[in-house]
Amino acid sequence: MKKLIPYITVILTTLILAFPSKAQNCNLSIRGKVIHLENNQPIPGAYVWLEETKQGMVTDLDGNFLIRNLCQGTYNLKIQFLGHKEIQEKIDLASNSFNKTFRMEEESFALSGVEIHGHRDAVQTTTAVTALYGEQLLESRGENLGESLKRVAGVTTFSTGNSIAKPVIHGLHSNRIMILNNGIRLEGQQWGAEHAPEIDPFLADEITVIKGAETVRFGPEAMGGVILVSPAEIPTKSESKTDLYVLGASNGRMGNVSVTHQDGFKSIKGLGYRVQGSVKRAGNIQSPDYYQANTGLNEINFSGALGYTSPKLGAEIYYSFFNTELGILRDSHTGNLTDLQEIIANGRPFSNVGFTYDILNPKQKVAHHLGKIKSHYHINSNWKANLQYGFQLNQRQEFDRRRGDLNERASLDLELFTNTLDLFVDHTHPNEFSGTWGLNIIQQANSNIPGTGVTPLIPNYQMLNMGFYGIEKYSKGPLEIEGGIRFDFRDVSTARFVNNELEEVDLNYSNFTAFLGAYYQLSPSLTFSTNLGSAWRPPNINELFSQGLHHGAAAVEIGDQDLNSEKSLKWVNSLEFTSNKSTFELTAYANRISNYIYLNPTGDTFVSLRGTFNVYEYLQANALFYGFDFSGSYEFTSNFNAYVKGSIIRAKNTDEDNFFPFIPSDRMDWGLSYKLGQEKKTHKFTISNQLVARQSREPDFDLAPAPDAYALFNFGYLTQLPIGQNKLNLGLQVQNIFNNSYKEYMNRFRYFTDDIGRNILLKINYQF
Amino acid sequence: MKTIQKLPFYALIVSLFVFTACEPEEPVVENDGEVITDVTLNFTELDASGNPVGTPISFKASDPEGIEVGASPVVQTVSLMKGKTYRLDIEVFNAIENEDITEEILEEADEHQFYFLGSAFVGSSAPLTYVYDDESGELIGVRGIVTVASSPGFNNAQMRIVLRHDLDKNYPGANNPNFENFVMAGGETDLDITFPLVLN
Repeated sequence: MKKLIPYITVILTTLILAFPSKAQNCNLSIRGKVIHLENNQPIPGAYVWLEETKQGMVTDLDGNFLIRNLCQGTYNLKIQFLGHKEIQEKIDLASNSFNKTFRMEEESFALSGVEIHGHRDAVQTTTAVTALYGEQLLESRGENLGESLKRVAGVTTFSTGNSIAKPVIHGLHSNRIMILNNGIRLEGQQWGAEHAPEIDPFLADEITVIKGAETVRFGPEAMGGVILVSPAEIPTKSESKTDLYVLGASNGRMGNVSVTHQDGFKSIKGLGYRVQGSVKRAGNIQSPDYYQANTGLNEINFSGALGYTSPKLGAEIYYSFFNTELGILRDSHTGNLTDLQEIIANGRPFSNVGFTYDILNPKQKVAHHLGKIKSHYHINSNWKANLQYGFQLNQRQEFDRRRGDLNERASLDLELFTNTLDLFVDHTHPNEFSGTWGLNIIQQANSNIPGTGVTPLIPNYQMLNMGFYGIEKYSKGPLEIEGGIRFDFRDVSTARFVNNELEEVDLNYSNFTAFLGAYYQLSPSLTFSTNLGSAWRPPNINELFSQGLHHGAAAVEIGDQDLNSEKSLKWVNSLEFTSNKSTFELTAYANRISNYIYLNPTGDTFVSLRGTFNVYEYLQANALFYGFDFSGSYEFTSNFNAYVKGSIIRAKNTDEDNFFPFIPSDRMDWGLSYKLGQEKKTHKFTISNQLVARQSREPDFDLAPAPDAYALFNFGYLTQLPIGQNKLNLGLQVQNIFNNSYKEYMNRFRYFTDDIGRNILLKINYQF
Repeated sequence: MKTIQKLPFYALIVSLFVFTACEPEEPVVENDGEVITDVTLNFTELDASGNPVGTPISFKASDPEGIEVGASPVVQTVSLMKGKTYRLDIEVFNAIENEDITEEILEEADEHQFYFLGSAFVGSSAPLTYVYDDESGELIGVRGIVTVASSPGFNNAQMRIVLRHDLDKNYPGANNPNFENFVMAGGETDLDITFPLVLN
């Protein structure tokens, strides 16, 4: 019975929605949504004219319009938008109101002076979506991807110290969510808890979080959600734009510079480029009472893109390079269980160090190259063929404190090649249907680079994944219904030496996934979406093959080659309210996962000459995750504004009736902001308060109890000044104003140290 | 223009080529360079003036698989004579790589130190007394002097020998070979072996 509660919660959410009122004779209405035929993006500001009543109106930001108080009869509707073919529709209004989605086709290109617009596709999904852009993204600059995404309700981080943060969506992370770098699924060594996503947030113009199961669209592993890191559109005409960021932070004495420049070529119409680069340097992080030894960071990133857009064809070449060297808190590397227990009992690092930028062992060096070619071709006005090919090379080296020459050698040295190929067709018809059909191939080769002097943690392997999918959407005015199905096949062949004997293993996995979702605009200010999706994830290579000591963690981890794929069913419901003064969004979900793989302490210890270690094994059990996130804002006056957001997650091992480790505790964030100034020159002051509860639902075994609840206060100031045609944004932020000592349950280093203390950041952004 | 329109086709050809070109390397046997498989305690009896007498006696702790999951280490019982003084030389060896780790420890003398703990060394009635006597003069514990009480309170005790790596040797108390709070000096444990001790 207990298991039903989350479902009942979700059903209740559904029932809150009022049914549309029954139409009276002269109380009929025509409702519509106007979108681009080409990419399904809404068209705001399209002109809608009803001939009979001489009523005219303009579509709102989402492309919606509504004409009320119509009597029965026949009406002629006209929709016009610059550069697009006019739509004329004869509508018979009988007893019901009329709903329709109108797709506008771009006018023939022969017409001179018609502007060609870019081809960036919007995320088309009925699942809950939240995007980080504009001012919010500006405020997050200088943070890593995980930290930036904490601004989205329902997203937290699973971190290892302050420089390694993995995003967590609705309690799931690592290989249970997916990150796309400009449309290509990021393939690093995501299985490791201390392996951060290899991506520079500065390349993004928008970061979108999809909170639903999106395996059908994006492939296996997208169980908990998807993060889309999207650069700006490549210019299609000569229009030089440069974005410069200079940031500094007091804590860790961090300095960060990023430049993005984009322009179009005058000589070739539709050809444009964008280049972007960033450099970051930080030294030892300071907790309120001490410095954390060896927590510096060096990062150099680059990306570039060249794009061509003609009416029928679009092509893009993209390359991004991510390169980081980061220190791992010296005290977190323990020799054996006794060491580990001693430092946990101590509650803080033993080392007493000062500030330095130097990075010593233990450290990580990671380089990630990503190249992609993307092209689409409009076969006719309804069909579009797409091709996308991506190549990735991930090089990861991890260094431990070792004796002699070995100290200079990585103890983990991995090289991962990934090829991804997407071939798909989109169809958009003037009638109610649109959809995507495609083929997706992922091929991977992972090698241990010899010479580490350590038995490799995971074997060398080759992986091939093929998926076929189809998604269809039915749109009628405020209603959208979407469904999709996918079949995947995966083959993994591994090779390694066990006791000097070659061991080769072939593994096959295959699975069907499907989803069904709907989106309904209840009124111009209220929308509801629901999505039920299945997803799957084959076991990771480390879950299958780990066999030995996890260096630094004082743990012996034992994999299981017979693990089955995880399968999940996630139901997400989202209610969104927007009015002039307030916005509110509520997302409730339940995610049932069968064969959930987790690392379980066996209770045994392993004794060696080095001392004693805890033994962990990978097990599978059925799991249930459920919860909700909310966010809202209210404008008291045009200057004075308040916001609140928060999330609650419950996750249970339903077989054992106990809790999983590292599930985010309940948390909320609220704040007040005051705005001064006129339209273009503004000053904004924000005071915010972050409240994080203690995780009272602890697993049966943990090295240390969950840390106490904490509250942090933050201050922010942002001013936007126009300088001629250019724009200057200046920001000052103070995080953890009162320099509180606290530990975050989701930070693995809570065993060793307090979290980061007060941090004052200065952010300068100049757009010219 | 025509060529550009065929771009998807060319891209496909290129990508298919790359697809076939990506394979993992053949795995290689990796010998664990850092693993310690054998620790030998060599006791040489010293006369009143500090000169060695007789043949050294050795006691060994070994774990052929290093720190891989498998068999537990075999630890011999240390047997010493009451009232005598010994020079203790510790030898650390990696049998997998056939490498003498003692040398490496001496090379990085500033980063390594042995601690001598357990009921054999710690406590007012401890039967053994240890003094560092390394050749370089630095406190390492590769060589030291062990004095056995002539009439100890008990004849059986535990000798716990810990090798610390990357510690702060200047930490207050770190110069004491029986420093129980060695973790406070930072670093990590490379060896932690408890030898049973019998006094005759």
